[in-house]
Amino acid sequence: MNDNYVGRRVKRTEDPRLIRGLAHYVDDISLPGTLHVAFVRSIYAHAKINSIDTSGAQSAPGVVAVYTGQDIAKIGPVPCAGALPGLKVPDHRVLAGNKVYFVGHPIAAVVAVDRYAARDAVDLILVDYEELPVVTDVEQAAAGGPVIHDAFSDNIAYRLSSGEGDIDAAFAAAERTVKQRILHKRLAPIAMEPRGVLARYFPGEEELTLWSSTQIPHLMRTQVALMIGMPENKLRVITPEVGGGFGSKLNVYAEEALLGWISMQLAKPVKWIETRRENIQATIHGRGQVGDIEVAFKNDGTLTGLRYTVFADLGAYHQLLTPAIPTLTGLMLSGAYKIPAIQMNITACFTNKMATDAYRGAGRPEATYVVERGLDLVAAELNMDAAEVRRKNFPAPSEFPFHTATGLDYDSGNYEAALDKAQAIAGYAELREQQRKARDEGRLIGIGISTYVEICALGPSQAMPAGGWESATVRIEPTGKVTILTGASPHGQGQETSFAQIAADELGVHINDVTVIHGDTGVVQYGIGTFGSRATAVGGTAVFIAIQKLKEKAHKIATHILQADASRVAFEGGKFSRQAAAAASAAGTSEPVVPVAEAPAGALPEPETEGKSSLTLQEIALEAHIAKNLPPDTEPGLSATYFFEPKNFTFPFGTHIAVVEVDRETGDIKFLRYVAVDDCGRVINPMLVDGQVHGGIVQSIGQAMYEEVVYDEQGQLITGTLMDYAVPRASHVPNFELDRTETPTPVNPLGVKGVGEAGTIGATPAIVGAIVDALAPFGVRHLDMPIKPENVWRIIKGH
Amino acid sequence: MKLEGTHQLEAARERVYQSLVNPEVLQRCIPGCERLERTGENTFAATIRTGVGSIKGVFEGKVQLENLREPEHFRIVVEGKGAPGFLKGSGDLDLAQEENTTKVTYSGDVQVGGTIASVGQRMIQGAAKMMATQFFTCLGAEAETEVGEPPPQHGFFRTALRWFSGWIKGLFKK
Amino acid sequence: MIPTQFDYKAPTTLEEAVALLASDLDGAKVLAGGHSLIPAMKLRLAQPQLLVDIARIKSLSYIREAGDQILIGATTTHYQLESSDLLKTICPLLPACAASIGDVQVRNKGTIGGSIAHSDPAGDWPAAILALDAELVLVGTSGERTVKAENFFVDLLTTDLQPGEILREIRITKPSGRFGQAYQKVPHPASGFAVVGVAVHLVLNDDGSCKSAGIGVTGVDVKAYRAKAVEAALAGSNLDDSAVTTAVTHVCDGIDPNSDLYASGDYRCHLAQVHTRRAIQAAKARVK
Repeated sequence: MNDNYVGRRVKRTEDPRLIRGLAHYVDDISLPGTLHVAFVRSIYAHAKINSIDTSGAQSAPGVVAVYTGQDIAKIGPVPCAGALPGLKVPDHRVLAGNKVYFVGHPIAAVVAVDRYAARDAVDLILVDYEELPVVTDVEQAAAGGPVIHDAFSDNIAYRLSSGEGDIDAAFAAAERTVKQRILHKRLAPIAMEPRGVLARYFPGEEELTLWSSTQIPHLMRTQVALMIGMPENKLRVITPEVGGGFGSKLNVYAEEALLGWISMQLAKPVKWIETRRENIQATIHGRGQVGDIEVAFKNDGTLTGLRYTVFADLGAYHQLLTPAIPTLTGLMLSGAYKIPAIQMNITACFTNKMATDAYRGAGRPEATYVVERGLDLVAAELNMDAAEVRRKNFPAPSEFPFHTATGLDYDSGNYEAALDKAQAIAGYAELREQQRKARDEGRLIGIGISTYVEICALGPSQAMPAGGWESATVRIEPTGKVTILTGASPHGQGQETSFAQIAADELGVHINDVTVIHGDTGVVQYGIGTFGSRATAVGGTAVFIAIQKLKEKAHKIATHILQADASRVAFEGGKFSRQAAAAASAAGTSEPVVPVAEAPAGALPEPETEGKSSLTLQEIALEAHIAKNLPPDTEPGLSATYFFEPKNFTFPFGTHIAVVEVDRETGDIKFLRYVAVDDCGRVINPMLVDGQVHGGIVQSIGQAMYEEVVYDEQGQLITGTLMDYAVPRASHVPNFELDRTETPTPVNPLGVKGVGEAGTIGATPAIVGAIVDALAPFGVRHLDMPIKPENVWRIIKGH
Repeated sequence: MKLEGTHQLEAARERVYQSLVNPEVLQRCIPGCERLERTGENTFAATIRTGVGSIKGVFEGKVQLENLREPEHFRIVVEGKGAPGFLKGSGDLDLAQEENTTKVTYSGDVQVGGTIASVGQRMIQGAAKMMATQFFTCLGAEAETEVGEPPPQHGFFRTALRWFSGWIKGLFKK
Repeated sequence: MIPTQFDYKAPTTLEEAVALLASDLDGAKVLAGGHSLIPAMKLRLAQPQLLVDIARIKSLSYIREAGDQILIGATTTHYQLESSDLLKTICPLLPACAASIGDVQVRNKGTIGGSIAHSDPAGDWPAAILALDAELVLVGTSGERTVKAENFFVDLLTTDLQPGEILREIRITKPSGRFGQAYQKVPHPASGFAVVGVAVHLVLNDDGSCKSAGIGVTGVDVKAYRAKAVEAALAGSNLDDSAVTTAVTHVCDGIDPNSDLYASGDYRCHLAQVHTRRAIQAAKARVK
């Protein structure tokens, strides 16, 4: 590559429209005659529906239709793609049948001429509920008690054990062990833009278009087509601008299928925009695990075994990946360490709450958290430094690909280098010294460290429910403009910029001449979508390889037109040139990029290729389309498609160090410093990477100190608005000191690993570790999140 | 959420008990109770228009009296459902005669659901205490009225509430 | 997030506003900044039939000195109070309190009168006007009356405002002598409301001992209150650390503190002690 754009902090092409308020989100799309949908949602966590009286709503002004569970019986169930042995899958439909099983469960849909009439009519619908006993505690759900789904005999959705090595022997022979119960409370993803769907059916053409704020347009299209009985190739899904997803929109929701179906019934456009209250009730939650971590180790700190026995709170039914998320936890229980024996035992249960599913990290933050807390406990037991006990158990770079006792092969890694760098930036030894002095003065300063590995760039299709490849089509238009169609579906990550950087360097064109198109199944070839930190590693690789195919073809055309020997034609600086023999190979010279000339007004010019010694890519593109002088057996056009199947996941890693001070009087926690050294392999745009790390750390701060979705014993959602659910603000967040190491992955030719979730995975244990370390003088070894000032005050007060 | 407290009424225990299980008194004293119609021996259908400040709603539901042991004990269950959500309150009341006064000890449970539960969590305890105070203030006035006199006026309760609420508050414990 | 239907009127005089309220005592509601009322309406927890928007009544928005008093019109916004140079000089507790409210957008619209009339248990203004022993001027169809702040806050979201009355002015005796003021607030991380908020108006004798203290506490009880036991303990004391620390242990006397998802009653009382102490110390340090 000409490293002209890649590796540089190129400003995002997405930003001007976003900042100026000119982008189009679902709610910005106005179609004439659009009807609006509002939902009646259950206010009980578990109840029979004896009857629904919709007569008041049906006769209310402006109401066009009211639908309930009986009307939608032919719409297929909300899909679950997690296939696990013995998995119980409740038949969950887009509207409740004779039972509701979580607060927020949609019961009826009102369709009216505007939002106001729809909302007013919702209040006129009378539901006769008969309350049933509520199950909210996941451990109690496993033990017995009221069964939520009549089709099953208990609330256990599945049990699964995984891991390699003789775990029982490891614990039996252990010199020491530690055990700790750990809670991961439910979190709400709180994307800035809640969900929304606009559906338009054309009865003449029998075509349905769905605009939806989704992360997976193609996968959603396939599923919704099956659900509503629409031929897949007559359903078009468009993602307009999406205001964040964080995994919560990696899904197929009832409202998507239902809106499509309603539009077909009424032959009118219909729109639904989620309110924030609906978003907290009825968009998937993240995390939701409670379990015991046990670590077996030697007196010198060498780890010999790790076991995690966990109850997973799946909620009342499955969304797309609900049952699969806890299994991802199992995959990463080796962390950044050599652990010969690992076991995970999952009991996954139904409860009367909203379904859990993927939320930034999707099972891996839970793994890193319990492993890192385990390492801290080992350090505390042995009175060893938290960093040193970790370093001792790292695999060396020469040991990669590193096979873990969870069945994975880590691609590449240099964990010590990241740890060294982070410690150097933090001045770790000085920090510990300052801590000693501060403790003598009675100040409570804590230092927390996390050395994490995470699994991303999902992934090899064998391991993925719907395939794990990604697609790209790269075209060079007759005027030389470059168009990239990516199956990835960015919703804030910035691939319109980073893919353009890759293409611009590879093709020697100006970055402004590259357009990246995504999120429209009518335009873009089938793709898997954006989640699991995969867009650049998998999608970007597809773009890169497609471009290589394009270059091969362009080279062939150039060779033919230049009437030269193939080995004498080289591509550099956007041009194919006839080289003298000695200079036939060119690599890494710093020729300036040739900007694309503006296309002349009027007709395309005749290519002037007589007697030339070089051809620009644009000239070749024109030749390819006009097709008067192509080599034999060469198709016209200049376009290449590639579906990249990765052979492995990738494993970014890093070290985070947090320093906090606790106010003895009030229990308030203040950050003194936050250092993060992350290694996501090759970096295409450092600004995008920094942004991902920032966002990930902030969501970790949220989990560690502020956020929890709370249901009371009756299954009432108590944290129903942002007045109670505390998403971190800028004032809650310290300045980040960020740096990187760069250990490319051999899994893809770009060397890129992925970084979207790494911050959320690596930061939480460093933050909690720091707070626990601050309270170490009180004998504290663990605290559950979110750690609030009152929790801390009670500990200090108790002494 | 648990709610407990005691209230001293300047009336004999029997008179207090009679007031407590008298549907006309209950209708006047359950805050905002506009309608209380007998549907069974000790059950009533109720319409309750209540709230705090500008947060108000109409709740349709029922009131039930249970475990009646005159003049010392009974249990009241109030349930209502409306646009703001649903509420369920139940309370065990014990009456003890102390010279010329009756000590009413109240121990109960309040559950809310729907919108009020999901947005109003921080105020539910305060609202429940306030309504319990209103109820007992009213009840006190009713019980202290001589038999045959007209019942106290609605406006009285606002004033009574202001006078009593500060004092009564101190008697309530969590 | 859509309110039930309502009528809307925007009178330009106070008399019109009072008449409109009187025309529907049950269903009419005053709208000023709307940042407490409109969210309640959007949740359909409040369903007024008629909104009487008093924000257009220009004569209700002012900050002025009149003799030995400071007069503040009820529809003066938090932002106006926060940025008032006059108040920063003669009564800095008011701008300090205003600056702690909500966020920029809330402060641009929200009004001191609305906040006081709404009496959110965690609202900031009630604490400040209690500490300053303010008077509130209420107007209704039967005329005007004045109520002392300490008698105005009755219970949860309940004040002495009678149906049909509008709060039109807040009157504060201009601080004089050797005084210092401070507002300490522990904001809820989600809502920004006061988990605990303490306003202190301290007046010293010439010898530096405490002449009087006005201490308003919010967030702890169902309404803001004056910590009279603390005030009494401070009066005459030399305000050294030990005297202050002892005095503030009375901040929750007679109070049954709120417990909610975020903080228990015990912790609230503890925070009230810590922040009352810190506010007194800050106020003392600011005495000229």
